[in-house]
Amino acid sequence: MASRVPRVTKTAAIVLKHRRLGDADRIVTLLTPHRGKIDVVAKGLLRSRSKMAGHLEPLTLTEVVLAHGRSMDIVTQAQTVEPFAGLQRELELLSTAMYLLDLTDRFTVEHADALDVYELLEGSLRRLARGDGVQLVTRLFELGLLASTGFRPELEHCLETGEPVPADAAFWTHRGGGVVSEAGRASHPEAFALDGRVLRVLRAFQALPYEEAGRIRIDPELAGRLEQVMHEFMRVQAERELKSAEFVSESRRVSLSSAAGDPPATVADPSGTAD
Amino acid sequence: MNEFDRAGARSDSASPINRLIEAFHRLPGIGPKSAQRLAYHVLRAPEEEAKDLADALTEVKQSVVLCERCQNLTDTNPCRICLDTGRDRTMVCVVEEPLDVQAIERTGGYRGLYHVLHGVISPSDGVGPEELKIAELLTRIRDVDTDVSEVIVATNPNLEGEATSMYLGRLLQPLGLKVTRLARGLPAGADLEYADDVTLGRALEYRQQV
Repeated sequence: MASRVPRVTKTAAIVLKHRRLGDADRIVTLLTPHRGKIDVVAKGLLRSRSKMAGHLEPLTLTEVVLAHGRSMDIVTQAQTVEPFAGLQRELELLSTAMYLLDLTDRFTVEHADALDVYELLEGSLRRLARGDGVQLVTRLFELGLLASTGFRPELEHCLETGEPVPADAAFWTHRGGGVVSEAGRASHPEAFALDGRVLRVLRAFQALPYEEAGRIRIDPELAGRLEQVMHEFMRVQAERELKSAEFVSESRRVSLSSAAGDPPATVADPSGTAD
Repeated sequence: MNEFDRAGARSDSASPINRLIEAFHRLPGIGPKSAQRLAYHVLRAPEEEAKDLADALTEVKQSVVLCERCQNLTDTNPCRICLDTGRDRTMVCVVEEPLDVQAIERTGGYRGLYHVLHGVISPSDGVGPEELKIAELLTRIRDVDTDVSEVIVATNPNLEGEATSMYLGRLLQPLGLKVTRLARGLPAGADLEYADDVTLGRALEYRQQV
């Protein structure tokens, strides 16, 4: 006899995003520990007197009660467990958190087991909120997410020959998914010479536990190169533009300009009047 | 058999009634049954009423443009608010959408200028700062409305609204402007028991003497 689906379930969830449904409802995308990524309906969320709206905002760890629905479950109760309020006070932290949510959404599929990803995301948001290094948390999140979702980059051995690749003689291919040696490069014309320091840091981040990885000293210039390589790698693996990655870089640029008192300049030119 | 055939309309998709039903069906929130009801309402209505509707649709597309200053929808350029000499020209209230201008105007408590971004920073939806009317805001403050001393960011109090607000704050700070954000707290008629931690925290943070 087929097992009956419980009419009501309770679960912890991190809110990834939401979109409008009709006049006042929303479809909320949740990442849960045991049901993976799910879309649920939250009724009346756009009304100013909604009792659940604040508990179902993206970037909130919340506990929800879901009533089983025909196509999508319906949220009947929501209570914030962790609002990650600290992340909403700094532009760089907020843009980074939005990037982590976006990556999670892009690299997970609905209803697939995602306990590893859930724990990774929750841990990373907590670390960001308590003030751990943005670069460290972000790069470890990217590598962890790639490993958990089957996109783990090959950092040690040539993708073509299988031979170990010395860090200072490595070529990198975003499309191939890792390093190739000089010999293997013929099959990957898009591969480019990778800064040996970048590869050493990535190897350490992939191999070491969090606390040990946190002891690695990374100067701003190296951090910038790491970010450039990983943003592009995530974009290629996700097979789409990652506006959230661009917003991380733009937020840092604006914050630095603001701190230095430089006159503002946006990335777009004014287009004048009408659309 | 498509939805319109099932609904009893003629199968000839080029027939005027079917064209009207399909046109209504393309509107947001209008299903096939509602589209049919609207079309038959127009058919039954006096000719003058139908003509008014057609004229209004044509006129709105022909005469409504974006104001060159505030980017709000308008039939005069610059719009009436931007041209109103009685408004306080030292303040600009930045909103997400044209409907937000109407909402703030209804309060009757604001007499400054507006700037409509036409969206909010939402990277997961593919919207970054360059997709919004932010460059136009900078140009305007620097070159046109040079008396502006305060920018009130009135984006919605959610993740995307906060990101947009912080971004604008960082961007405008070097211009020496006062950049403020609408207060966040409990809505009228709210119940403390159901308030989320962030809202309640902000309500406490921005409490006022009674």
